[in-house]
Amino acid sequence: MTFEHILGLTISGLTVGMIYALIALGYTMVYGVLQLINFAHGEVFTVGGYIAATTLIYTGVDATTPLAAKIGYFALALIVSIVLTSFLGWMIERVAYRPLRKQSRITALLSAIGMSIVLQNLLVIIFGPEPIIMPTAVVPTGFIEVFGVRIRLLQVIIIVTSLVLMGLLAWIVKGTRMGKAMRATSQDMEAAEMMGIETNLTISFTFIVGSALASIGGFLVAMYYGSLQYDTGFLYGLKAFTAAVLGGIGNIYGAVVGSLILGLAENWGVGVTLGVLAWLFVFGLIAGLYVQILRAPGERVSHIAEEFRTPEYERLIRSQYQLAPVVAVKTLLSERTDALVHVSARHAVRLMAGNIVLGFFAVLFFMNGEMQFASKWQHVISFAVLMAILMFRPSGILGDNIQEKV
Amino acid sequence: MAVLDRMNSMFRRAPRWTYIALALAFALIFPVLEQYGVIETLWLRLGTRTLVYVLLAVGLNLVLGETGLLHLGYVAFFAVGAYTTASLSSPRLGYHWNFWVIIALAMLLSMLFGFFIGLPTLRLRGDYLAIVTLAFGEITRITFNNWESVTNGPGGIPGIYAPNLFGWVVDKPGEFFYLLLAAVIVVVWLLNNIKTSRIGRAWNALREDEIASHHSGVRPLQAKLLAVVLSSGVAGLAGAIFAYYQQFINPTYFLFMQSTIVVCMVVLGGMGSIPGAVIGAVVLDTTPELIRQLFTKWLPDAVGADFLPGVQTALQQDFDRYRMLIFGLAIVLMVIFRPEGLLPNKLWRREVHEDDPRDQANTRQHMFDAEKGAQDLEA
Repeated sequence: MTFEHILGLTISGLTVGMIYALIALGYTMVYGVLQLINFAHGEVFTVGGYIAATTLIYTGVDATTPLAAKIGYFALALIVSIVLTSFLGWMIERVAYRPLRKQSRITALLSAIGMSIVLQNLLVIIFGPEPIIMPTAVVPTGFIEVFGVRIRLLQVIIIVTSLVLMGLLAWIVKGTRMGKAMRATSQDMEAAEMMGIETNLTISFTFIVGSALASIGGFLVAMYYGSLQYDTGFLYGLKAFTAAVLGGIGNIYGAVVGSLILGLAENWGVGVTLGVLAWLFVFGLIAGLYVQILRAPGERVSHIAEEFRTPEYERLIRSQYQLAPVVAVKTLLSERTDALVHVSARHAVRLMAGNIVLGFFAVLFFMNGEMQFASKWQHVISFAVLMAILMFRPSGILGDNIQEKV
Repeated sequence: MAVLDRMNSMFRRAPRWTYIALALAFALIFPVLEQYGVIETLWLRLGTRTLVYVLLAVGLNLVLGETGLLHLGYVAFFAVGAYTTASLSSPRLGYHWNFWVIIALAMLLSMLFGFFIGLPTLRLRGDYLAIVTLAFGEITRITFNNWESVTNGPGGIPGIYAPNLFGWVVDKPGEFFYLLLAAVIVVVWLLNNIKTSRIGRAWNALREDEIASHHSGVRPLQAKLLAVVLSSGVAGLAGAIFAYYQQFINPTYFLFMQSTIVVCMVVLGGMGSIPGAVIGAVVLDTTPELIRQLFTKWLPDAVGADFLPGVQTALQQDFDRYRMLIFGLAIVLMVIFRPEGLLPNKLWRREVHEDDPRDQANTRQHMFDAEKGAQDLEA
């Protein structure tokens, strides 16, 4: 477990995280304005990569092409991909989501799933089930040496491009009229419409921007891995969605933060031994115990109205958390009299269970400290993160309180 | 669409048992037709697969249609059932357990599985629940794929023994058809009874308005958990019989697409209606095959050898892809143009067509009645 090893993992984690972020931004923006999980977004990403790769194959670029021409072809592929993919995103919204906007959200989600199946199978019918190979001639192959770690030039390009695009997006959302319209639409669509904002146009614009970002992501992935398959987008879309939820869906900065965390978690999770991972659980346990013993009882006690806040009552609430499950379970088994006492008893038991699980995993990992997760479990890590975040903090790291939506 | 409505009301005029009797009679003579060479074995195999889907659709209808929870990891329970059979009745681990024990165990295991997954996730609603269940379904598949000491990974488990029901060794497609038919009848009968019981109405109340039903004394978590547990039991049963029938399983049978197909069946048939789920499963599972036969066999036979050669080769080569494409288009078109499904449940239709004139007339009548009642009270 050398420093170089960790640094290498971090760099590749950041690279993957940046790509997740490009996709996650599309999810989170659409969720912001429509409260809809755009399930077809992962497929939009794949289509973007396919279009770019096809354009490059069509131009016939190879190792003998001069550098200027290579850059020209590269730009051409990028532009073609962005334009066509944005059109696709706009069309998906027009065909599959707009007619359903007034209906229950479950139907819109079903329509999105149907759209995703259609796109995936269209890709197979047009391009065949085998992966499309990116022409290697346009992929930069240099290395940079930092602290004895070789970093691929492409990784640097991916990270820098993504940062630039995110800056651009932040400017669009914060600094332009359209961005203002987007923010207004996401807060309250009807009110925005009454203020003269063309919400339909704004929503279309959101889809176009999201799809453009996804298509660039698809292009970068195709260059990074050298190939792209029709179902790549399903997994990437799911992980990017996880990242968006992790950061707090609807929040643009949250999407970036969540993506970076997820990318790092995936690479560290399978790159280091269990003995190292166990420390994460130890930190989690410390945080959990802090919440259980100090923070949660304090918050509960502050909910008690002044006139009822007697020392005995406060002590009862506190001891439920601090001595859980002894006192809490006793409360739950006894006759039900006081709502606050019961709610906090249940809360305390839940926190306790979470802490026990964390402690269990910490011990388990320390006992098998020399082992390491095989990389075939990498996907499970992100799904487990998704399930954990939705169960314990559905609003995400930077999210506002969205309890009523969940 | 008006045509569909008219057909619907036309069909409703005859008593319901006539249709049930007709469907049952058709299902009962179906394997006999195959035996006497009237239809090919292909159709019998298709019919058997359709019955597996019918079981799954009826089971999922409990969660998606009755309770309104979009569950996208349903195939995971199916996988648990199938792997239970495969592990306990094949040379892979060297067990050869009794059929009934395995069926009971498969249902029990998938119900336990459903319970432990439902307990933490059912606090979520709507899209979030959908995504969590999807993630959980994928985790299950990846686990079965990677856990090589038991499941043999992507290689799968071959050579599953034929089931033995008190001396009746079921090993022909026709016999499996009858076995599955019996399972379908029992499950539909049970679920239909549960649906019209107290808990069934609690589920419908939860689907319509969770907060209001909570305040009327329905315990949301318990009721949802019961729905999920029961429906995962049905999926476990379907999986167990499916593994017996297939004699070989591997993780590719349990892709996310399978969950989506079952969801499509429930949506197409009409959420919250058991006949709808059955019809949805039958239509969606047989139509692609009918289309393929039509273009590659019947039409060329009738018209002449070279009928639309391009379509023929395309259908022969990428048939599965076109099937999925049709599924995807069917969902999109269905939710846009007829969100209540082919054989809708009345409540659900009202949910998706808030501006339906029929219902408005109803509501006006109710309002009128209420006003009259109030006037009477005052007077």
